[in-house]
Amino acid sequence: MSAYEYDAVVIGGGVSGIMASLTLASGGFKTALISRGDPVCCLSTGCIDVFSHSDEPLGGIRALLPDHPYSLVGEKGIVDALCFFLEIMDEAGLPYEGDPGRNRKILTPIGSTKNTCLVPQTMAHADMSPGEYLHVISFQGIKDFFPSYITSRHRNSTYSVYDAGVPTTLGIAARFDDASFLDAFITWLRGLEIPHDRVALPAVLGTIDPASVMEKISQAIGRKIFEIPTLPPSIPGLRLFRAMKRVMQKRGIHLYWGKDVTSVERQGRTVEAVTLATTGRAKRVQGRVFVLATGSFVSGGLFAGRESVRESVFDLPVTVPGERKDWFNTDFFSGGHGIERAGVRVDRAFRPVESMIDNLFACGSILAECEIMSLQCGHGLAIATGVAAAKSCAQELS
Amino acid sequence: MDRQYNDLTVRVSLYMVVTFFHGIFHEESGYMIKTDVVIIGGGATGCGIARDLALRGVHHYLVEKGDFANGATGACHGLLHSGARYAVTDPEAARECISENAILRRIARKCVETTGGLFVRLPGDSKRYRDTFLNNCEEAGISTEVLSASRAIDLVPELNPSIEEAVVVPDCSIDPFRLCMLNAFTSRHKGGGILIHHKVIDIVKERGRCTGVKVLDRFTSQIKEIRAKIVINAAGAWGDTLARMGGSDAPMTLSKGSLIISNHRLTNMVINRLRAPSDGDIIVPNEAVCLAGTTSIPVDDPDAIEVDPREVDLVATQAEQMLPRFGTTRLIRAYTGVRPLLKAETSDSRSISRGFRIIDHKNGMFSILGGKLSTYRLMAEKTVDAVVKEFGIKAHCKTADIPLDGQDELSGYPLSKRLKSIDNIVCECELVDRAQVENAINSLGIQYIGDIQHRTRLGMGPCQGGFCTYRALGIMQETGRLTPDESIEILKQFLQRRFRGIRPALWGDQLREEQLVESIYLGILNMGQQA
Repeated sequence: MSAYEYDAVVIGGGVSGIMASLTLASGGFKTALISRGDPVCCLSTGCIDVFSHSDEPLGGIRALLPDHPYSLVGEKGIVDALCFFLEIMDEAGLPYEGDPGRNRKILTPIGSTKNTCLVPQTMAHADMSPGEYLHVISFQGIKDFFPSYITSRHRNSTYSVYDAGVPTTLGIAARFDDASFLDAFITWLRGLEIPHDRVALPAVLGTIDPASVMEKISQAIGRKIFEIPTLPPSIPGLRLFRAMKRVMQKRGIHLYWGKDVTSVERQGRTVEAVTLATTGRAKRVQGRVFVLATGSFVSGGLFAGRESVRESVFDLPVTVPGERKDWFNTDFFSGGHGIERAGVRVDRAFRPVESMIDNLFACGSILAECEIMSLQCGHGLAIATGVAAAKSCAQELS
Repeated sequence: MDRQYNDLTVRVSLYMVVTFFHGIFHEESGYMIKTDVVIIGGGATGCGIARDLALRGVHHYLVEKGDFANGATGACHGLLHSGARYAVTDPEAARECISENAILRRIARKCVETTGGLFVRLPGDSKRYRDTFLNNCEEAGISTEVLSASRAIDLVPELNPSIEEAVVVPDCSIDPFRLCMLNAFTSRHKGGGILIHHKVIDIVKERGRCTGVKVLDRFTSQIKEIRAKIVINAAGAWGDTLARMGGSDAPMTLSKGSLIISNHRLTNMVINRLRAPSDGDIIVPNEAVCLAGTTSIPVDDPDAIEVDPREVDLVATQAEQMLPRFGTTRLIRAYTGVRPLLKAETSDSRSISRGFRIIDHKNGMFSILGGKLSTYRLMAEKTVDAVVKEFGIKAHCKTADIPLDGQDELSGYPLSKRLKSIDNIVCECELVDRAQVENAINSLGIQYIGDIQHRTRLGMGPCQGGFCTYRALGIMQETGRLTPDESIEILKQFLQRRFRGIRPALWGDQLREEQLVESIYLGILNMGQQA
């Protein structure tokens, strides 16, 4: 077995794991990140929901119970982490904007609006006042986008349909990476002579550099352009992940991608190493500290059996709210299902409690009590706790 | 795999069938309809009666408040009993079953899969029961063959390796929805009228006699009156309510039975437990999945039933004793139906006869009560016998001899061809494309998302419509059948209904899927906040 040695080993390649590893790397620690594959964030809107349940994210967070992971980070920690995220995204060439003190609106594919906090530049113009004029562009045969949902809810809106030759969002976005396709699209768009101030499209403006695609279109027709995030697979989510991954590579973080942790080596109260299944020889990855950022049920950090919930890598104790009949409410729309509170409970240093391991830290949606769906705080919580857990690691290391 | 898609195609060509029904929606516009017999209920019994009347030349209308197979017919195992299940407890039902089993295999080839069935005896199950079972099967005329454990496991490799032995019987898997459609096809073909999504709101009476029904068209909210000489109440669990509307009553015992669906076809044969009928003792393969059930719990109101998570645990635990993989495989949903059983003094609903009874209310209404899917044709025959006697017509039942019409159009074609012709897929789980959805909406005039699902299998796969229902409704509002607001409202109702079926069986991979679906509707589309 080949062995590799690091200061810190982060398990989980979603937003929290990436933010934790970037924080550690900027502290000068030799860091590795292990991921089973592309994260669930590729299915998200790509926007950073910090606390979309209320209009004022920080105000909402202040009202949370002390055992909520946000409360463990504290307001200053949250704001600092979000600022660090903004710096990262600038460096990645996918700038985000927004104010942690105030939520903004984006438009959804069914014409409703949604609160969010930080948005990629391509959604900056989505926050519009009611009654403003809007023109929607759709694409021939696109599966998950029906412009009439939007035009029926916005009285001063109209739409047109462009034939991109493919029906999927991924397919269309890939076409926008091609300059000649973009030119043809712009020529068509000019021909429409859109009188409205704003033009909205499903989020397909390229997979790599949407800001310059948007800029080009915007300059050509002299209108404000913005994207509407669509159903999974989501292009803005994919862009977010790829941009963050680029920065990790640039900062020298060692990535073990597409690898499953198959076993854990412990020596007393210390995790010494994890073993990865790889084609060929198994790899032993050794670290002084470990960060668990494997996410909740969807990404597989937690697994629900018929009666109990298990943590997948270290078999840590998991807080579970009641019996299975209590896991879900009867109303689909009410939110706040009991199961949203299931997870790994941590102390103020983000060490899992009752785990009997001293050099392990946890962050992201695997944390107990986070209620991501009902509070609408997924990426924000991942960023805040990822950075906070990494800071605790750094203290432990130095 | 091939089979699944062949069957899918089969269902798609059923569009044709409905096209005929669509014609009649335009014929009557508010005025009164006159016929000889009006049948209430579009389950197997009602549709079977319609076909029987059609073949005997009696003009009729059938009204159904939902889609076909809306009640117990659509919420059962889809098991065509050999009768062996009843051999010990209810020999008469057993004899009826084996005789109908043979008939349906003959006349309904495209609805029946001749899987064969096994009764498996687990360690601890009574050997004496097994002897009585074999003896009674013989008396009822049900063929049996005793297999050693190893031979049984050769037939069904997923069987619990510690079984003592197994008995082969001629159980089959049957598609109840298709069965209803094909029975109704004959009726329409011979000039009968079929009105689905028409709810009976009143029974028309003249001098104490039932002379017709008033129905509400659920889509247009229009009220229509159908005048008839005889009213047949084949409303299943709702039978007593209808009989009371007609001024009489039809006492029944209602018993809830809940089932679960596995994501895989773990067996190619029906699996029964060789012991006295009890909870969770039957597993039936159906297309690409397996259905396991049931429970039996007395209920009062057929409209207020839910699956309790404990029922799911009970059925899953029992099923995994016969097929251990049932314990680890992904369950995609649970569902429940209400058995309309004959009224009995006993409180144990399992021991009530599965036999049926025809009540002549002596007021122009006949009620058909009890029975089960496997004997629907016989029930229809006896009901129509009583009705034609009333008319003084001498016409014999032909339904046992003539194969169901419309089956020839149900020809599948291989997956390879199917994949070639499919593009722009709307439902990835079941490979339904946009053209099929548009066809259902435009040429069939389908107004309900559930009807599209029944006829195309859209939304029937592992995600249970989590992705494709939004798309199908989007397409529906683009065709102008619905306004955008209406389609969002329907989407909400669908999600709520879907969740009711999924919630009792949420763990493992299905829980992951559910949270993903939640993140779409409550997160990306933000439907929770504005509800």
